[in-house]
Amino acid sequence: MNCKYRQKIALYADDELGPPEQQEVSGHLATCPECSAALLELLEMKKSVRLAGTRFSAPLELRRTVQEKLRVRKTPAAFWKWGLALACCLLVATLSFMVYSREQRQNTVIAGLVDQHIIALASEHAVDVVSDDRHNVKPWFQGKLPFTFNLPEVANSPFKLDGGKVVYQQQEAGAELQYEIRKHKISVFIFRSQDGSSKLVHDRGSSFTVEHWTEGGLRFYLVTDASSEDVHQLASMLQEANRL
Amino acid sequence: MDERFNKEFEQLALPLLDPLYNFACWLSGNPDEARDLVQETFVKALKAFASFQAGTNFRAWMFRILRNTFLTSRTGLERRNTSQQDEDGYDEAVVSYETPELAIMRQADTELVQVSIARLSPIFQEVLLLADIEEMKYQEVAETLAIPIGTVMSRLARARKQVREHIVDALGKKS
Repeated sequence: MNCKYRQKIALYADDELGPPEQQEVSGHLATCPECSAALLELLEMKKSVRLAGTRFSAPLELRRTVQEKLRVRKTPAAFWKWGLALACCLLVATLSFMVYSREQRQNTVIAGLVDQHIIALASEHAVDVVSDDRHNVKPWFQGKLPFTFNLPEVANSPFKLDGGKVVYQQQEAGAELQYEIRKHKISVFIFRSQDGSSKLVHDRGSSFTVEHWTEGGLRFYLVTDASSEDVHQLASMLQEANRL
Repeated sequence: MDERFNKEFEQLALPLLDPLYNFACWLSGNPDEARDLVQETFVKALKAFASFQAGTNFRAWMFRILRNTFLTSRTGLERRNTSQQDEDGYDEAVVSYETPELAIMRQADTELVQVSIARLSPIFQEVLLLADIEEMKYQEVAETLAIPIGTVMSRLARARKQVREHIVDALGKKS
């Protein structure tokens, strides 16, 4: 047979024609018994081949082996990944807790020292050793504190030393020194420190200015309502005097 | 390689286990070899999955890996060397498609069709398996076998012709 549609029958059976051609061949099949028979035979053969060809199913053991192979590759990577993620989370949580705890402790200390400063402001006897001479004040602490410190010379500065006394903060003995600048009182607290050096921190959390730092095994806290410039100046003088 | 990556691969690849095994059995003619081929295919595919481009044909990609694995196996090499057939005559195969004998085709049982498929040379057999069993489009078959669409059509026509001739011949002799 030489029907011009003959070559398109396979394409039609395999659904490889575009919609217009598909429609055209459909129309032709209604009028051409030979092409219709050829199509039926081809469809019959496709069906037979499909049924006969789908002959083998993967054995259960192969399915298991393949799944295991995929799992074997996945498990170690996943283990390390999640293990590492968990370790990172724990590390971050621990560091955060340590930083938070340390900040909390610092805040508690500062709050207590601010209270101590307010008590000193309200007290008629703010100091136990009354002297504007550092050579009198410093020796007064000998035997009263388990550490020593240096006081700066303030004779040629706007600051005036009023004296000092022993204070306790969280069951730890320390020195409280009273300075004065233009009618503003400045309390300087000195405690022993286990930590290394730390930079000066300026804190204006309350109406008082607090500056604190650690140097030479000592922790210094400076509490006042004086200006920031005055606070910085006295802090620098104390740092300079206690630099090792 | 993260878990999501493996999961995605599993979801795409595991449904192809049976079709791949079936194809491997037909290609190799040996269930043990087919098992090894499928395992190797999954391992290779998982390794190369990062390079698989999303949106392209995953099924064709998996079948291509399996076929390439087979072709480099001992059996594959042997079959390739002994099955080089003249592919001329595509037009003839299509044009001279004789008047169908539908009644005879309907008499063909599964075993006879299986024998007819098994008798085909590999290059015709694989096209027939992918097009008529896996119901791949010509384009998919072309991608899987890395051959032009025209060659797919040519081989498919010849494969069907040979299957049909064998069935008609076998049933003719019987009657």
